[in-house]
Amino acid sequence: MANARRTILRKSFNSLVTVVLVAILNFFLFRVMPGDPLMRLRDNPRLSEEFKLKMIEDFGLDQPLVVQFVEYMKNVFTFDFGNSFSQQLTPAMDIILGNLQWTLILVGTSSIFMISIGMLIGVVAAWKRGGMFDTGSMAFSLFFYAMPTFWFAMMLIVIFATELKWFPPDSEMSYGHDLELSWTAISDMLHHLTLPAISLTIGSIAAFSLIMRGSLIDVMTEEYITTAKAKGLSDARVLKDHAVPNAMLPMVALIAIDLAFVVGGAFQTEVVFDYPGIGWLTVDATFDKDYPILEGCFFLIAVVVVIANLVADTLLVYMDPRIKEA
Amino acid sequence: MAVTEGSGSEAGSLPAEVAASRRFLLSDPTWEKLGLLKRNAAKTWKIYRKNRMGMLGIVMLAVFLTLAVFSPQVMVLLSWIGGWDVAYDPFYKDLTVASESPPSQEHWLGTDSFNQDILARLIYGTRVSLLVGMVATVVSMGLGAGVGLLSGYWGGVRDEVLMRITDVFLVIPWLALMIVFAAVLPGGATVTKVVIVIGITGWSSTARIVRAQVFSLKERAFIERARAIGSSDYHIVRKHIFPNVFPLMFANAILTIALSILSESTLSFIGLGPDSSNVVTWGNLLEDADSVFAIQQGLYWWVVAPGMMIVMVVLAFTFVGYALDEIFNPKLRRR
Repeated sequence: MANARRTILRKSFNSLVTVVLVAILNFFLFRVMPGDPLMRLRDNPRLSEEFKLKMIEDFGLDQPLVVQFVEYMKNVFTFDFGNSFSQQLTPAMDIILGNLQWTLILVGTSSIFMISIGMLIGVVAAWKRGGMFDTGSMAFSLFFYAMPTFWFAMMLIVIFATELKWFPPDSEMSYGHDLELSWTAISDMLHHLTLPAISLTIGSIAAFSLIMRGSLIDVMTEEYITTAKAKGLSDARVLKDHAVPNAMLPMVALIAIDLAFVVGGAFQTEVVFDYPGIGWLTVDATFDKDYPILEGCFFLIAVVVVIANLVADTLLVYMDPRIKEA
Repeated sequence: MAVTEGSGSEAGSLPAEVAASRRFLLSDPTWEKLGLLKRNAAKTWKIYRKNRMGMLGIVMLAVFLTLAVFSPQVMVLLSWIGGWDVAYDPFYKDLTVASESPPSQEHWLGTDSFNQDILARLIYGTRVSLLVGMVATVVSMGLGAGVGLLSGYWGGVRDEVLMRITDVFLVIPWLALMIVFAAVLPGGATVTKVVIVIGITGWSSTARIVRAQVFSLKERAFIERARAIGSSDYHIVRKHIFPNVFPLMFANAILTIALSILSESTLSFIGLGPDSSNVVTWGNLLEDADSVFAIQQGLYWWVVAPGMMIVMVVLAFTFVGYALDEIFNPKLRRR
């Protein structure tokens, strides 16, 4: 157990280092790369004089770079990225948090479906390896793996919004509606969520089905599976009690790693459906040159993904006795 | 090499058989190496040929490469088949038809908002899409192989430092990273910038793969032997480690090309790719369509065709990459 604790401690330390490095990368990308930030601020015609002075004051932009860096690191770890450039009275983080809920709804719903369906496909395909289902599902998975998610989203709009008119083609809710705990609001939300969620689920499902299949095929060549079969256990028992639990281990690590991949898909889905999540906000901020928002989104996403990876690593340590002993 | 050329020209006057035996007798190391390379390639090809998916991939790639290299000739051929007055190029504005016109005898995939032939843009688009995918892959392979080799060979603290940096790039969602890089890097949205952005965001998994392979190689007896006879680190990495890592990297590179092409189309679609008035890519063809609400207007061909091209080309590279991976990846070979 002491070893397990040490492993987790080391992984936590590594995660912290990663977050600090992201923060440093952020500083260099936004302060150092595009030239003098003071100049950029001055040249931005959309900002009021007052706001500019406040920005310079707040971030110490007239100070030497080292002082700015220390100040910046303090701000970053309190998630203070200053006020948004385009909505000058609102702190960037408030805007970001407002959009975060939509990304969480989209990614959360889709993740449940893509993980469960993807694993199911993977298990069945591996069990009947080389059969009709295996070939078919492999082709299906590869086809959608090769497809740009944004394009698949557009195809969904063509079929289910423009032609069939079953679902709305854009936005998170109907105009004038707010997310609240009422039947009309929730059904409206779900109605708008359906197409984006399908797009993200199917667009990312291959990552899970292919790996689950590979992992299970790996496990099936192990000797304990042969033993289990020799004991006379039914196929279903071998699969449920011996093969799948062991094949799950790489999946847990993968779900966290794939989160980064799924977020990429979510970005595209949000842009195509005008779904106001973090991805949509990031793209919007890119064109508005709204750097506080961009910095905030980038950092927040990185932190969330790092934490997810850490949680997965911790789970793995407790699930896999081999790691615990090592 | 000079020796080889010398013996080659001399051999020109001798009967082929004699020349061949002489080459053998001379036992020139270059020739020996070439022979080995040829035998290895032949062996690899023999295994590869049995992989149906891999062969399909190669055929598809050949078609796309032909389209890319001979885009103007393909358009001439099509103009002859279709009986058009001119072989359209992507920037030719046909003012005899309406803009955003539906498919017709003259324009099989219709025209865009500037009366430009969509089919021509689609075929010429193969060029930049393939080029960006390949060059970006070279960039990320170079970075990934460099970091992976050094990290794996050094080990210790320097390895830790390099791996923490790799983690940053591995963990941040690829699209977020690319958007931010595209937003802050100086210079307009040019092809070069897109290549750099995709290259510097996509190297981390290669670094991981190469590092793991180097770690296992490092412990092998032949490396120890090389070190014992006093080979320098540079020599060991270049002559002993790199050649053993290369096949795996090659398979990985092919798969990375597929991802780079997807990345390019996504960046271009979002509007961070090269401008469609100078350069045609499948991504900015889709961006153009989206900016005039082509799908809401029912101009489906404009959106469906480039998407299918992307899917096909990505599939082709993925098929070839998987097939090579099965041959070169020691973890997969035993199955």
